[in-house]
Amino acid sequence: MKKKINLKSKVVEIVSLVALAILAVTYLVMMGDRLSPYMLQTLLNQTIITAVVSTGAVFIYTTGAFDISLGSAVAVSAISGAMVYNKTESLFLMFLTMIAVGLLIELIDSALAAFLNLPVFVTTIAMLSVLSALVKIMIASGGGAKIEVPRAVVKTLDSVGLKVLILVVFIGLCIFIYNYTALGRREKFLGGNPICAKLTGISVKKLSILAFLIAGVGVGLAAFLTVVRAPTITTSTASSIGMDVIIAIVFGGMPASGGARSKISAALVGSVSMVLLSQIMVILNFSAGISQCVKSILFLAVVTLSGLKGRKAMLTR
Amino acid sequence: MSEPILQMQNISKHFGLTVALDHVDLTVYPGEIRGLIGENGSGKSTISSIAAGMQPATEGTMKFKGRDWAPKSMTDALEHGIGMVVQERGTIGGVSIAENIFLGNIDQFSTAGFVNRRKMNQAAKEILSLVGMENIDPALPTTVLDLQDRKLVEIAKVIARKPDIFVVDETTTALSQTGRQKIYDLMKEQKKQNKSVLFISHDLDELMEVCDTLTVLRDGNLIKSLTKEEFDEEEIKQLMVGRELKGDYYRSDYDGSYDKEVVLKIENGNFGEELKDLTLELHKGEILGVGGLSSCGMHTLGKALFGAVPLQSGRVTAGGQTITSEKTAMQHKIGYVSKDRDTEALNMDASILDNISIAGLDKIAKHGVITKKNERNLVKEQISSLSVKCREPKQAVSELSGGNKQKVVFGKWIGCDSEILILDCPTRGVDIGVKQAMYQLIYRMKKEGKSILIISEELAELIGMSDRLVIMKDGAISGEVTRSESLNESAVIGYMI
Repeated sequence: MKKKINLKSKVVEIVSLVALAILAVTYLVMMGDRLSPYMLQTLLNQTIITAVVSTGAVFIYTTGAFDISLGSAVAVSAISGAMVYNKTESLFLMFLTMIAVGLLIELIDSALAAFLNLPVFVTTIAMLSVLSALVKIMIASGGGAKIEVPRAVVKTLDSVGLKVLILVVFIGLCIFIYNYTALGRREKFLGGNPICAKLTGISVKKLSILAFLIAGVGVGLAAFLTVVRAPTITTSTASSIGMDVIIAIVFGGMPASGGARSKISAALVGSVSMVLLSQIMVILNFSAGISQCVKSILFLAVVTLSGLKGRKAMLTR
Repeated sequence: MSEPILQMQNISKHFGLTVALDHVDLTVYPGEIRGLIGENGSGKSTISSIAAGMQPATEGTMKFKGRDWAPKSMTDALEHGIGMVVQERGTIGGVSIAENIFLGNIDQFSTAGFVNRRKMNQAAKEILSLVGMENIDPALPTTVLDLQDRKLVEIAKVIARKPDIFVVDETTTALSQTGRQKIYDLMKEQKKQNKSVLFISHDLDELMEVCDTLTVLRDGNLIKSLTKEEFDEEEIKQLMVGRELKGDYYRSDYDGSYDKEVVLKIENGNFGEELKDLTLELHKGEILGVGGLSSCGMHTLGKALFGAVPLQSGRVTAGGQTITSEKTAMQHKIGYVSKDRDTEALNMDASILDNISIAGLDKIAKHGVITKKNERNLVKEQISSLSVKCREPKQAVSELSGGNKQKVVFGKWIGCDSEILILDCPTRGVDIGVKQAMYQLIYRMKKEGKSILIISEELAELIGMSDRLVIMKDGAISGEVTRSESLNESAVIGYMI
């Protein structure tokens, strides 16, 4: 039995990479001669935003919690930054505002859970509702159905090099924190056993809040990248990110329960996989609804498969 | 002699390259209480779990009541006559006590898809009465029960199915003397009905007292089976470890001296019924024992001293500073080894490396950065000095035997340079060889000037190791004795009851 579990465990370990390889080959074969630098750039644009949010969110997932309001948080951060730009015409202040709003949203989210002793999913559900409403209110306050930053202003920033640099630096920083600092190591330990973590001097509340704050940085960066890519913000901007992040992280090989086997790479692997999958479904002329259903089915399949790892051998000797 | 009820022949079990059992034969007769003894990792739990349907054998045949025996699961085995109470936690926390008892069989209380909870709770109450828990409301969530009561629920659940063979795997280590007596009575009742018991324990005294026959295993091999007349404590110990146990078991000196400096103190501590205006001091270089019945409050005292229980009044201080949380306790170099090892002391999801290094991260970090080299050095030092039997530091801690898991917990606190150690039942579920090593380690730490508070339900251990021994009863200290050659259990028991 143990042998079987080990085998399944190994399959689960590599399944995300195998899935990514299959999706990549399928995409390349389907595109054939139509594959162009423009298409690759589109892929990259889509991947980077999901990957940045997912990378920050890995910290939340590691502790065994999850946040479904990340998409709305990106939208609110983007709108806030755009509004500040329109008032000050400073790209720097726009960027700072986006990061600050991302941090503030995640701070409120996690602090409410910590100090009211509520499960995090409860506060994120409430936050999703509040943020979605806030997006509508903020856009309506501009007197129209959208808020814009002049395209000419952000055009200079819309380069593949800058976007890749932001992603690489952020992922690098997160990998460093995750594996080489006490904070990251404690986050993983907390996810594995919160009771033991507490009895090892780890402050569960403090670490949960810090995990959300790191995710908040990812939210702010994603808001910036969103505005650089599409400076017109509407109520549907970033609306699918929340769900995409959840699916991407799990699809990338992150255990749904967090803990010691959590890994930053899951965010990148999952994000690329999700974008490739979306593109394949576009080529196959799947409607948006059908695409969402396919993603959800895949999500369930991956969670079921990854659950095998959680089934510990019943005997420890 | 009657026909055997269970015959296991040539049983082998492999976990990858590890051979847990190597062609072992085991026979159990009706009306027999057979003990299984051996060091951690000897294979005693493995062979009994194969009989009880927890896992299949890699090789070998089994016959139960004269027929081929290959249970598909523990439930299957229980339905057909072999029921096992496992060493690890066997109840689910999120559901009621009654639901735990009837797990997998709740349909018997269903009508048109609706569960008749009143009927289920009534049936659960009757089952609980088998282990003297008739006063417990079965509708309560299992989380309200302590470790001992959860174990008793598991025992009741198995015994209610009237198994032909009742397998008890190191269960008594989680029980107080009262709880142990209940399980001994159940075993005797089983024998009276010409049914059998397979009893696994590290406590040689109780095995010799309760069992008719004893089978000794070592490193996955059957070493010898002994009848009651052949029981000899020293011989059994030698058969278990394969060598003569050299050196002292407990410490051999009767010098109960220690420094005057108070390193940890609780003053007028109150916490419900468990701590009542309790004041206690631990000195530098002292081994302070705390004993009593399981429910006397001593386990809560251990947690309170580590800042893990918020006192209703009174305070805990170390070096003059108030301990308000686990973190402040650790800042004052206090370590805490919980009784509930798998839930509170270890992260079973993580590796040996993660579990040992987690408390010492601040120590090994240079300018906030943890290097793999520093971390590995810290962990390897502990693995080596504590002789943790493992393949590599990255091995999952869940794969270790009970004794080696406990060594990892010790390594966690020693590795972060703890000067004060609060040890709650430190030798629970560990074999005689590991116990001896731990006693020697505790004594060595005392000699190094460290302060150790041992909370234990084993009086022999407390008397054998402590400089000073306090006994608790109903949340307060009922007696105190100091180390002396003439100190014995009967002198202490009077304070407990």
